[in-house]
Amino acid sequence: MLEYKMEKADDNCNVLLNGDLDIDSTELVNNELVPKLKYETHIYLNFEDVNFVDSSGMGLLIQLVNQLKDEKQLIRIVNVKEDILEVFDLLQIPEIIGENVIVK
Amino acid sequence: MFPKHFQTFEQYNGQMDKVLAREIKQARNIQMKLLNAPKPEIDSGEITGVSIPARLIGGDYFDFHIMPNGKIRIVIGDVMGKGIPAAMLMILTRGVFRSSTEHQASPSKTLKVMNDAMYDDLRRLGSFVTLLCADWDPEAKTLTYASAGHNLPVVIDRNQNNKKLPSIKGVMLGGLPQASYQEETISLYEEDVIFFYTDGIIEAQNKHGELFKMDRLILSLQQYQDYEAKEIEEAIQEEIRKFTNGVIQKDDITMVILKIVNN
Repeated sequence: MLEYKMEKADDNCNVLLNGDLDIDSTELVNNELVPKLKYETHIYLNFEDVNFVDSSGMGLLIQLVNQLKDEKQLIRIVNVKEDILEVFDLLQIPEIIGENVIVK
Repeated sequence: MFPKHFQTFEQYNGQMDKVLAREIKQARNIQMKLLNAPKPEIDSGEITGVSIPARLIGGDYFDFHIMPNGKIRIVIGDVMGKGIPAAMLMILTRGVFRSSTEHQASPSKTLKVMNDAMYDDLRRLGSFVTLLCADWDPEAKTLTYASAGHNLPVVIDRNQNNKKLPSIKGVMLGGLPQASYQEETISLYEEDVIFFYTDGIIEAQNKHGELFKMDRLILSLQQYQDYEAKEIEEAIQEEIRKFTNGVIQKDDITMVILKIVNN
């Protein structure tokens, strides 16, 4: 199960995600998180406490990033665990969402 | 509001539930029939595959196709998401694969044609498909493969060694417009087991939240290497069942097994 906490500092909005990013996160991300991020200009998704991302979670993440980028919002994904980074690389996620979005 | 010939909302709702249940069952039947089409019978190899959806219907896909040039095309894929939405896209993927394969292009070109055909729809729907396409040539004893963001197969030889495959790049279908795909060819030898799979296998979880993982899969394949393809399929399913021990399956599980035999 995924949970999140939002912290704002100046123009920055830090979103600390906690749990698994998978199919069960769909409603939370699309119905709660996306509307709350609508007026944020600099968004940092902190993956420090994300232990598992499955293919549905990847899809959610790509959708979220593309939506924010379409609205010209700055989005960065930080503190991604090594094993999740490996899966991101296998799926060439950085090439899809932008090489600079995932901060290594 | 509900139609007048229903006395109450509950009555209408109950009727709708029955209709929905019937239609989901029919959709499952369609999907199972399409996935369980007859497997090609080849003298120099055994081939088998199974897909176990996490819900009533799923988004995983596998298929075989005998090419006019005698090669056997194998495809395995995973539509992001689960249930009915993923199943709809799985059927779309199957249709595009089948029509692309008619052109007899190589695996890498087939993936390119498929991405070109599906990109706009997938982008609009916010969905993606990972796919591995491989041609087994029984005459030349080779396997040529290309991947759209999908795991490469595991190859275990007659001495139970896990043969490392040359890695290739290729973005998932729906990931980038006009993407191109790399391909590689390996030689196959008698008693090699080639195991194609979707991530539902290595991400199967037990009650402690531990994953089945690649290492456990490789160990199991080494253990059952001398079994026939169908027996390996059953043994791996049993290993996953034992590991998860009743925990609800979260993702679709699909495997295709090719075993090279002496013809």
